[in-house]
Amino acid sequence: MESAFVAISSDFQVYGAVERDGDVIFDRVAGFDQVSEERSRYAPKEFLMKRNENVLILNVESKKAVFGIKSCDLKGFYLMDKQIFGKDPFYTQKREKTLFANFVCSEPCNGGFCSSFGGPVLDQYDLQILREGEKFHVMVSEKYDRYFREFKKETGTFYVDFSNRFNSKLEPLPVEGIEKRIKWNSELWKEYASACISCGACNFECPTCYCFDLYDDGNERKKEWDSCILSGFTSSSAGNIRKGLDERLRQRFYHKFVYFKKSKDTYLCTGCNRCVEDCPVGIDIKEVITYDYNGE
Amino acid sequence: MSVLTVCPYCGTGCQMVIPTQTPGERVIGYSKSPVNEGKLCLKGYSGLSYNFSKERLKYPLIKRNGEFVRVSWEAALTETSNRLKKIIREYGPDSVAFQSSAKCTNEENYLMQKIARVIGTNNIDHCARSCHSPTAMGLITTLGAGAATGSINSLDDSKTYFVIGSNTTEQHPIIGTKIIKGSKKGKNLIVADPRKTQLAEIASIHLQFNPGTDVALLNSIMHVILEGNLEDTKFIEERTEGFRALRQELAKYSPEIVEGITGIEPGKLREAAKIIAKEKPTSILYAMGITQHVHGTENVMSISNLALLTGNLGVRGSGIFPLRGQNNVQGSSDMGALSEWYPGYIPVNSDSVKRFEILWKRSLPTKTGLTLSEMFDAAVDGSLKAIYIMGENPLVTEAAISDVEKGIENLELLIVQDIFMTLTAGLADIVLPATTSLEKEGTFTNTERRIQKVNVIYDSPGEAMPDWWILNEIGKRVGGLESYDTPRSIFEEIRKAIPNYSGATYENIYPTGKQWPINKENPDGTEILHTKSFPIGKGKLVPIPYRPPVEVTDAKYDFIMTTGRNYFHFHSGTMSRRADVLERESPEPYVEINTEDAKRIGVRDSQKITIESRHGSIETNVRTTEKIPAGIVFVPFHFDESRVNRLVGKTLDPLSKIPEFKVVAVRLVV
Amino acid sequence: MENEYRPHTLKMSKMTEETPDVYTIEMDSKNEGRAGQFYMLSVPGVGEAPISVASGFGRNLIFTIRDVGSVTSKLKNLQFVGIRGPYGTGWPWKEYDEVIGVAGGIGIPPIRSLLEEMMDSGRQQDLEVMYGARTPSDLVYKKDFGDWTKSINLQITVDRANAEWNGNVGFVPALLRKAHLSRMAAVFVIGPPLMMINTVKEALKLGYREDRIFISLERRMECGIGVCGHCNIGEHYVCESGPIINYSRVRNDKELFL
Repeated sequence: MESAFVAISSDFQVYGAVERDGDVIFDRVAGFDQVSEERSRYAPKEFLMKRNENVLILNVESKKAVFGIKSCDLKGFYLMDKQIFGKDPFYTQKREKTLFANFVCSEPCNGGFCSSFGGPVLDQYDLQILREGEKFHVMVSEKYDRYFREFKKETGTFYVDFSNRFNSKLEPLPVEGIEKRIKWNSELWKEYASACISCGACNFECPTCYCFDLYDDGNERKKEWDSCILSGFTSSSAGNIRKGLDERLRQRFYHKFVYFKKSKDTYLCTGCNRCVEDCPVGIDIKEVITYDYNGE
Repeated sequence: MSVLTVCPYCGTGCQMVIPTQTPGERVIGYSKSPVNEGKLCLKGYSGLSYNFSKERLKYPLIKRNGEFVRVSWEAALTETSNRLKKIIREYGPDSVAFQSSAKCTNEENYLMQKIARVIGTNNIDHCARSCHSPTAMGLITTLGAGAATGSINSLDDSKTYFVIGSNTTEQHPIIGTKIIKGSKKGKNLIVADPRKTQLAEIASIHLQFNPGTDVALLNSIMHVILEGNLEDTKFIEERTEGFRALRQELAKYSPEIVEGITGIEPGKLREAAKIIAKEKPTSILYAMGITQHVHGTENVMSISNLALLTGNLGVRGSGIFPLRGQNNVQGSSDMGALSEWYPGYIPVNSDSVKRFEILWKRSLPTKTGLTLSEMFDAAVDGSLKAIYIMGENPLVTEAAISDVEKGIENLELLIVQDIFMTLTAGLADIVLPATTSLEKEGTFTNTERRIQKVNVIYDSPGEAMPDWWILNEIGKRVGGLESYDTPRSIFEEIRKAIPNYSGATYENIYPTGKQWPINKENPDGTEILHTKSFPIGKGKLVPIPYRPPVEVTDAKYDFIMTTGRNYFHFHSGTMSRRADVLERESPEPYVEINTEDAKRIGVRDSQKITIESRHGSIETNVRTTEKIPAGIVFVPFHFDESRVNRLVGKTLDPLSKIPEFKVVAVRLVV
Repeated sequence: MENEYRPHTLKMSKMTEETPDVYTIEMDSKNEGRAGQFYMLSVPGVGEAPISVASGFGRNLIFTIRDVGSVTSKLKNLQFVGIRGPYGTGWPWKEYDEVIGVAGGIGIPPIRSLLEEMMDSGRQQDLEVMYGARTPSDLVYKKDFGDWTKSINLQITVDRANAEWNGNVGFVPALLRKAHLSRMAAVFVIGPPLMMINTVKEALKLGYREDRIFISLERRMECGIGVCGHCNIGEHYVCESGPIINYSRVRNDKELFL
């Protein structure tokens, strides 16, 4: 692994998951052995969409490699791609120039429900790293195959077996068909609204949320991460289609489970559980999936 | 560079992680923090873009012929100190006043008050005057410490929350979420507030009482407790004094009589009182709804009475929680940036001032200094010649703004040290560009007494310098102070000055902070105060007679206006109004009016309306809501284009000198 | 990849006040968009606003703007306007033999653009336009009415007349009955929500085909390119699938009209 890492380092600025004061964040790393296999504190989506950036100037980005992102966070980019790749020049450029080396979890994490969306072995990746004891298995995309020519390739059913093994340990939620079960007038939205403080964590921490706001600051025009649970997200001089917080919370879940499914034939969720972990009042997206809407 | 610091907004003091080596200015809550446990509110997530605003002050400015001219630091420091020295020489040290800031670090507040006192004046004050001066005054009197008695974390152990005069989910959101989660788990939540806040909506009991009748309400609650023999007799006996006098006073406040004052139905009040006394431990949380009154200190002492009477002190889950507005109100008050206290709440006229004379090697002033609003009065009458303001914007935040304007106009010298060209800075003779709290090092002390490390996260723009550096330069030049090379060296002196801070070091408060008192006896800090005894021995029960608010409605001024913050903005908006998402959520001034009132006077949403009080008038936009009762209107004070403090008069609490921001009689002119 | 967010700067050649709060600006450049599409116009230091084009393809760019916000109140005083686009969908008039354009209030500019495009293609005989405003003084393009009536059936109504008004009085949907074209005509509807709802109802009642009714959706739009998420309704992004969209595609959406 270390030799491939060195080769990649000569072509890319290399970042990795590292521990700082007890939280795993991303920072520059100089060796593969420095990369933490612990799950990072957050989905590092700022590598492709900065929290705040000037859109009037499209700088040429340097090539970056990010080691240690977990599959659930990486999958977010593949989902976002369906809506914004090729359209947003900032995202697109960085997407093309960033190599993600994702770690595949061998054990389910606390609260995560990735098996509901296929589990941690992704079928799209740049470098996908699985650990088996002291051994790393690496799946490499064609684009980056050159760094791994000397490596022995896994063949047969190793990855499928690994995936099945993981998914059997974490029972998938009944997510299939949620777009039909979910209810527009469910009491759930009102209940959530009574507790929600509109912090935006569910959006900001979600690896699949890509919405942003555009605004002028002096001679710069900036885009900044936005949150659909805020009233100003949809209000305009013509009015506001989602005046109530319950309506806005519903929009978030409908976008993930109904609208995206309709337009892109997939759910906009990776089962990472970050929106649950970072919600200060304990709103749980898993409940949206498992809730008995018919029983209301 | 570090990645860990403290949120620059409210007094909760959430710790945040900002990975600076990766692109994108990412912000997350620090998961190991006992304060916020990894969570942040919208201001934490989306409120930091002011740091990168194009409008940041980058260079020192001196006004010449009415225009600001960019000068070098050397020129600015020389002119500042020469002009200050000249005024002190001509008119004496009391002709100069300093306004410190609860947005600045402990080190900076300590330094500013030291400069003031070393040059010979106690004219040092800051915005705690306008928020929690009654807390300091009240709780020091009754308990011996003007601070929250427990920790945020200890709220998990409460069985009952009594929230009065605090819109917690909007003003201290992360503390609010503790209560929300507790309430959803079935804990008791009693909310006393004229407005139907989010907590009121989910509360077991909402006491929607008339503004300014807090003492009557609290006395009545205690009346019921005594009536039902629900008081904690053992606690009262062993740990308090003054019970007899209190009992006598409380006898007058039967819920039936008090209903006429507070508007609270007796049955509801009885139920609430019983829960508070019986479903223990009960934590009592309050904020500006208690303090910003002409009887703010009395309100605070009434709360203290209630806690003492029910034995709700000294145990996890119980306690009194004054929720601090600014990130460092607790610290800046601890540092003695107040006109009546030296660091550590040593009264200016006490013998204990000697310890500072020894520490600072000077004889020091012992006459109480001017408070914020008194400073502007003194400027008007000509006795005050210069004000040095650090990070405050009194032209927006101070009561009776027209007096502030007159005062400033009359000054010989106004120095403003800030991060933006605020309304107040615009009137200054000298403007000194400071760095934000994300660009400097130091400590903040949050609402639960937790001393936390603030670290350099971002580079500062232009020639902006940390406040401590600027003060250090001024201190050397004006006061002949020794030079401090780092915030750490100032903190080391703070440890000597304030016994409660003596055990804290930059090392041991990192990363998760320590709660004072931290000293030899409590090397790891103190989570719960008053577990065995009070610093003053026994807790004092103080009979507080109800006095009505000064401002009352009449035929002409027929609405009661209360003022405050909203969720999206912070104080004069200097920071939050330059944060895109926050400003978009709340872009313009407004007045909240009850839907029925709006119908009655014939106004609709977004309509322009004039609000007049006996002191002034402003124009603003109507926002109708069911969340405010008829006869009451609410106006946030963030908007410099429509400053509500024009309407607020200068009726001060005689004990703490806080203006009555919460009760103003107004009329609405369509 | 081009930086789609970076606006071009165009010189404004003309500004006309239409009503007290509506004005028209004309640029020194050609419109490359189709009727119904919009551009993002910007005021440096203030921001951007999506504005539908009011002129036909290939003609000088014209926008008619209502002063309702920080950007729209400042555009009229600029010499140079920041602009990017065109974005979104246009009226699919080429696919239909007959077209009825129905506009309410400030919905008229995209219909003006439609009218110019069809005239420029020599198809003015296939178009009828119904236009309503609250009062006569709210009507825009008054000076063009004479020209237009020479080539098309133009019906105008106001909700409330004044002394000088001798035209139709009443709501726009009722004007549909004055259409001469067949029930196979496509109906293009744009205006305030209530006006669109009632016009669609009326059109269906009169026997126009649902799949030939097109409406124009209005939402907060920021990026214009299907990325920022603000204009999301159901599975659609208004800036991509709209603003002009076939009514039958969205009729069941609960958040269709503001």
